[in-house]
Amino acid sequence: MTQGSMQIAALPVRSGFGLPLLLLSAAGLLGLSVLLAGQAAPALAWPWLLGVVALLLVGAVGIRQSAQGESRTARILPAAATLILAVLAAEAILRAYAVPTGLIPAPSKVAQSLWAARTVLLQDAYYTFVLEALLGFVVGTLAGLGLALLAVRFRILERGVLPYAALLSSVPIVALAPVVIKAAGLGWPSKTIIVAITVLFPVVINAVRGLQSAQPMHLDLMHSYAASPAQIFREVRWPSALPFIFTALRVSSTLALINAIVAEFFGTEGHGLGFRIQIEVGRFGLDIVWAAIVVASVIGISFYLFISALERFVLRRN
Amino acid sequence: MTASRPTSDAPIVSVRDLQMIFPTPGGQTVALQDANLQIMPGEFISLIGPSGCGKTTLLRLMADLIQPTGGELLVNGGTPRKARENRAYGYVFQAPALMEWRNVLNNVKLPLDVMNTPKAERDSRAREMLKLVGLEKFERSYPWQLSGGMQQRVSIARALAFDPPLLFMDEPFGALDEITRENLNLELLRLWRETGKTVVFVTHSISEAVFLSTRVVVMTARPGKIEGIVDIGLPHPRSDDSREDPRFFEYATQIRELLKKGHS
Amino acid sequence: MTAAPANLPRPARRPSNLLPMLGVALAALLLYWPLMLWANSGQAARSLASGADLGCTTALACATQLRNPVIPAPGQFATGFTSLSVPPLAPTSAPYNALVTGGETLLGLALASVLGLVLATLLVRSRSFERATLPWLVASQTVPIVALAPMLAVLLGQYGVQGFLPKAIIAAYIAFFPIAIGMAQGLRSPDPLQLDLMRTYRASPAQVFGLLQVPASLPYLFTSLKVAATAALVGSIVAEISTISFSGLGKMLAENSRASDTVALWVIMIYGAALGIVLVALIGGLERLVTRWRPPA
Repeated sequence: MTQGSMQIAALPVRSGFGLPLLLLSAAGLLGLSVLLAGQAAPALAWPWLLGVVALLLVGAVGIRQSAQGESRTARILPAAATLILAVLAAEAILRAYAVPTGLIPAPSKVAQSLWAARTVLLQDAYYTFVLEALLGFVVGTLAGLGLALLAVRFRILERGVLPYAALLSSVPIVALAPVVIKAAGLGWPSKTIIVAITVLFPVVINAVRGLQSAQPMHLDLMHSYAASPAQIFREVRWPSALPFIFTALRVSSTLALINAIVAEFFGTEGHGLGFRIQIEVGRFGLDIVWAAIVVASVIGISFYLFISALERFVLRRN
Repeated sequence: MTASRPTSDAPIVSVRDLQMIFPTPGGQTVALQDANLQIMPGEFISLIGPSGCGKTTLLRLMADLIQPTGGELLVNGGTPRKARENRAYGYVFQAPALMEWRNVLNNVKLPLDVMNTPKAERDSRAREMLKLVGLEKFERSYPWQLSGGMQQRVSIARALAFDPPLLFMDEPFGALDEITRENLNLELLRLWRETGKTVVFVTHSISEAVFLSTRVVVMTARPGKIEGIVDIGLPHPRSDDSREDPRFFEYATQIRELLKKGHS
Repeated sequence: MTAAPANLPRPARRPSNLLPMLGVALAALLLYWPLMLWANSGQAARSLASGADLGCTTALACATQLRNPVIPAPGQFATGFTSLSVPPLAPTSAPYNALVTGGETLLGLALASVLGLVLATLLVRSRSFERATLPWLVASQTVPIVALAPMLAVLLGQYGVQGFLPKAIIAAYIAFFPIAIGMAQGLRSPDPLQLDLMRTYRASPAQVFGLLQVPASLPYLFTSLKVAATAALVGSIVAEISTISFSGLGKMLAENSRASDTVALWVIMIYGAALGIVLVALIGGLERLVTRWRPPA
């Protein structure tokens, strides 16, 4: 028996310890938090910290064990456990040291605030995501595709515009935001414009690159069929551009929401997640800030996953 | 030099009942079954066969890049692991596998850097090797500036840089065009004569195997095994004329027959 | 078999983009004048209707005279630009403040690169670590991390970290995720054959890391640095706005935004844009210097 085959045989046995260790660690951390909830801040914080560290070590061993092998659980469980244990450990430590909510709010407090402020936060999310990020994303994408088609059709435009697009894509939106907001007003459309501008550049650059990525051999083949320009576009250029365009869309999908939030830091009519974050930081309402960030994160990840799924769907059909 | 090269009695590579089984999702694959082969110092051995016959597997076993599931394998008088740790062989892969951030000279120097050869020796040794493969004018070029054939010559120089007694070559010219390949074949034979290395050479070209080798090991697939060994009696030094020798065709036919036998 | 080095392949020169670029710039300049008049005339008409004395009679004539125009007229641009740029190193001038912000961002990028390399090494070395953290690192790219900047600024202030450092830390914090992921990708990028090669040399893990993995990861590092630079710049500007700052473009933006001085905002925007472009160009220059072995693009 050689080393290699022995390792393969040993794997399933070792991973068996993972889940019990993880459960032990999670239950322990939860227990500490519950114990700490009954009383005011403990006189001595360090024994609690020691307990948390010990339980985290147990959890780390559990994560290590459960990460062995190639099963579905071995891929998903370690990541899920890391998040849960991190949140539980933060809760216990923040309670043990009685850190004021105005400085770092405990996860449980954030969850409470999230629920309490759900109406306001959902309304903020509607402004920031639907009206600003999503609309800006769609407008920017369409404008970018249009510009890219023009640039590919008229080579002179490509050589004149594309270098600027590459240059302008490294401009920080925070420099752009105040001017656009002064020009277009404090309402949501100004933020939509900012998002559209920031989405425009990556889409133009990637779409042009993609439209030109068609293989010369394929173009020659279409030529030999005496295909019309429209047919060449439909059969060769567009399909080969799609992967490039989707790469830009995936990147932009995350930028859209982030930029909408940042743009709101520079002036709103009192709506939006960015606005909420900014005023609540000002009055130390950090539980609401965190709650807003949780909402934004969930939306951001969902939007990204949606675009990725769309990409897979469209590219598989082509 | 003639066909009878000075050889000592002890084989430099000894393969006895060697077996290699890979686990696959649906069960297992027998990549190599009951292989037996003795290679004498100074020989030029080719392993030839269709894909899946285990020729690359056999080479990788000799190089300790994978470990066998059964049988016995001695390289340079010890286990393959020992041979690797003693840096007893140079390995040339299908692709040049050059480090694209090192120029030609520094690529040849790579093994000397790893092996902590005295610094003063590294440059002169690498230049010597580049001269051997005819690339001394390109020492400052970067890999992307060289043609495929030139890159593969750099990788041969690199394999020889630390002067190992053995040279393992895994289809080194497989990706090159016929003209470049024949040129490099001639050059490889010259290197072999000048350095006296033992070469184990994997190929799927019958003419290449006949032209280069002292013996050709013919392998067949499913399961991978050695079908037969053909002694090549063509005299050395060989040249393009050797390809016109009637015996060249006889050997080629003999190998083709063996390959067909495994196929039926 | 030997050819002169002169035969080395060199990529063909592409036609220069200079003329078309100048043409587009000219077109933009020609469009600017009517656009400016159109954008400002509404406000000018309103001011005139309210009876303000602007020293002009028609909306179109007043469009270049407004105190806080939507788009400044050329003369206003010139005045605003000089008043904010001369002398360049005065604490109130834009070039000085751009240098401060640029310095914070570069320090942040340097910090992020060190952290990124450490994290990337861990990710590549330990599969358990990778499985436990990589999904969250990737997810963090889709999360508005910059939204944490105001809060982080307040938090760091509470613990006495002040001045230059908190902005650099926030810039690093934002830049660090793309760098870590890029580096991890780079450390994994060597060809399996190259790894086998190192194995045939009996190379130690440290040699494989130093001679193969790190050099192979450099192009990936620079690609992610370019992505990270703009994000880090946004981070340091947001941090300047959210903390008590005495210098930096963020501070200037906040002040002029409050004062509604639109001409100044335009000038600062141009400085900010230039800073972003310069930072990315700096990284690009460094990249060409460090990875000279690569074929020119």
